[in-house]
Amino acid sequence: MAVLPKLVCPAGSLPALKSAVDHGADAVYIGFRNATNARNFAGLNFNDAQVREGVRYAQQRGRELLVAINTYARAGETAIWRSAVDRAAELGADAVILADIGLMEYAHRTHPNLRLHLSVQGSATNAAAITMAHECFGVRRAVLPRVLTLPQVSHVIQSLRQADVPVEIEVFGFGSLCVMAEGRCLLSSYATGEAPNVHGVCSPASFVRWENERGTTRARLNGILIDSFAPDEPAGYPTLCKGRFKVEGATYYALEEPTSLNTLAILPELMKVGVAAIKVEGRQRSPAYVSAVTATLRAALDAAAGPGYSVKSAWTSALERVSEGHQQTLGAYSRPWR
Amino acid sequence: MIPPRALLALLEQLPEAPPAQVTASALNIARPILWPDESFDWLTGRTLRLEVLQLNVGVTLAHDGRRFIASSGPGDVRFAATIADYWVMARRMEDPDTLFFQRRLRIEGDTELGLQLKNLLDATDWELLLNRLPEPVANHFRQ
Repeated sequence: MAVLPKLVCPAGSLPALKSAVDHGADAVYIGFRNATNARNFAGLNFNDAQVREGVRYAQQRGRELLVAINTYARAGETAIWRSAVDRAAELGADAVILADIGLMEYAHRTHPNLRLHLSVQGSATNAAAITMAHECFGVRRAVLPRVLTLPQVSHVIQSLRQADVPVEIEVFGFGSLCVMAEGRCLLSSYATGEAPNVHGVCSPASFVRWENERGTTRARLNGILIDSFAPDEPAGYPTLCKGRFKVEGATYYALEEPTSLNTLAILPELMKVGVAAIKVEGRQRSPAYVSAVTATLRAALDAAAGPGYSVKSAWTSALERVSEGHQQTLGAYSRPWR
Repeated sequence: MIPPRALLALLEQLPEAPPAQVTASALNIARPILWPDESFDWLTGRTLRLEVLQLNVGVTLAHDGRRFIASSGPGDVRFAATIADYWVMARRMEDPDTLFFQRRLRIEGDTELGLQLKNLLDATDWELLLNRLPEPVANHFRQ
């Protein structure tokens, strides 16, 4: 009997956190208002009082609050990252989601009772890396990067089980996709000098300009033209990886097309291989997004626990509605080639 | 809620200063209730403009460090959407990013200022204001 995975949902504000809890999230993940998390946008995220209220709201209802401290500490500024771990522990978070090995060592040594999750930004794609994180720092859950196929996810889980390594595996279930060089992407840094890995923000808003002219919208990142959307074309986030560029005379999505991950079709398979948690992307999104996606995945997961699962068209349209890009895909999960 | 065409035509003919003043006054009344801890230092000396798509009208607002004030001009940041779309965003029935992907919400100018405003509205607990309104009126705004 497959165990029902935990549904882990994003929140960039208290109303989003409450929406996630009210619509059936088992855990909500949040960040502080600084560069210690990978969604460091102006006006987004939580101060200490809001974290306290979030912890109270979630835990009173039997849910968990996770704090993402998943960027890499900058040289000379490690105190900011350590302090974030201390604050999360003091405020009563159920776990912290870390990527930086130095920070994991600090958290493990200073707060031995604080549960550690290895962030997707840590880029651990195999059982050996996850085993090391467990043996050295007591990591209890690892979020797999969105580059593994379903058989590879299964292989990681089997390898951990065979070696008796008690680390749960969390995978992404829904949300915007990028090039997914997670924790190592340099594209934003190339254009702006600021990278998600250390500044906590990809394509910082201060570098973004939208130009509207006769229905066409042009996106510029630090002056670089990322894309030009005709009046009837959907727009996307202004990241280099999703731009259309002129390459040898032809203009096209040179790196990748804006796309959203949607795993509704393979939820039973993810459960069967032993995934412990399903994560939703989108701390930058509004409470309306969090409500819609949480409610949909809650219904789908509960249905997948029973016999005769099939994807309902209402779920698909609810997710399609809030998706970035032209299409939804299974991402790397379904990749027949090797 | 889609306003009748005649009303829209009338709105287009009216001067913008009175609606901007009414909006600024409403924000000043709501501020201690909705945003008691927000300093608005990021908005001080800056202007923002909300435009109604397909109508040549909008309001421009500023903040002088203490209060919201009516302003004029294109604004440091400009949003544009239909009245119906502003309404569904305000009621949290639609996500602004979704409307942006669908080309129903436009933003121009200082993107960071716009994002700060969007995130402030997302983080706002409207119940604090609705709790002070008569029950039937408040229920009208609740989902």
